[in-house]
Amino acid sequence: MKKLILALSSIALMTTAVMAEAPAPSATEVKMKIKAKEKDGVVKAKIAIKHDMLTYDQAKKKGKEANFITHITGTVGDKVVYDASTSQFLSKNPLIKFAFKGKKGDELKITYTDLKGGVFFASKKIK
Amino acid sequence: MKKNILGLVALTAITVSLNAIDYRVEKPDAWTAKDVPSAIKALYGEISPAEGDIKLKAPKVASNGGAIPVSVKTDIPAKSIAVFQDANPEATVAVFAIPEGTSADFSMKIKMKKSGAITAIVEGKDGKFYSKKISLEVALGGCEG
Repeated sequence: MKKLILALSSIALMTTAVMAEAPAPSATEVKMKIKAKEKDGVVKAKIAIKHDMLTYDQAKKKGKEANFITHITGTVGDKVVYDASTSQFLSKNPLIKFAFKGKKGDELKITYTDLKGGVFFASKKIK
Repeated sequence: MKKNILGLVALTAITVSLNAIDYRVEKPDAWTAKDVPSAIKALYGEISPAEGDIKLKAPKVASNGGAIPVSVKTDIPAKSIAVFQDANPEATVAVFAIPEGTSADFSMKIKMKKSGAITAIVEGKDGKFYSKKISLEVALGGCEG
């Protein structure tokens, strides 16, 4: 009986942990350069992601495994503001720019997924 | 109660993934296509895009093929924008889904192995397709590593 309660409570703990980190529970926070500035209701965002973006050809030459960003998403709260499916041909340490309707003080969160399945994110307040 | 919460979490997760379209999962063939026409076909199907008002910008001569600044912008109400090039082993560079409230104005840096052409396809909200193509010279290829 005690065991059951213990198991149950641990499940409850896990659920709360998942809820706190939703929507991507397995994501790792990384350093990313994010600049987001609002003017007249439009937020201009510039993002620099550190990533090798090894193409299949480059990886073969270097004897490494290919790995590149396959998907980048920008969200403010629950709203998706940027959504790009990308290939190996973005430059090393890719730089992206986009603009969306938003307001000062909100938090812009950038999440990216790479070929190996890793999910990484960073967030910054809109200035 | 717990089940309820779990269900809610699952539901939010589903809504989020519905909002974001992963073209890699939905159109896997588009990412392995070797040339631009077949990549477009794999992504959007059989289309005959019209020459549209798309501002596709890239330097005429890129000194470093490893990081060529490319920007694409359009006033056409668009659902998605796709960028292709014909210098690398595979054609597709990136596909942008455009959520409500986001401007159809994207910049990025791309790699090109040699001189070639960049093509942008805009999928309009009206169901029509528009295209724009520019050629550029690449002085130093970017895929050698």
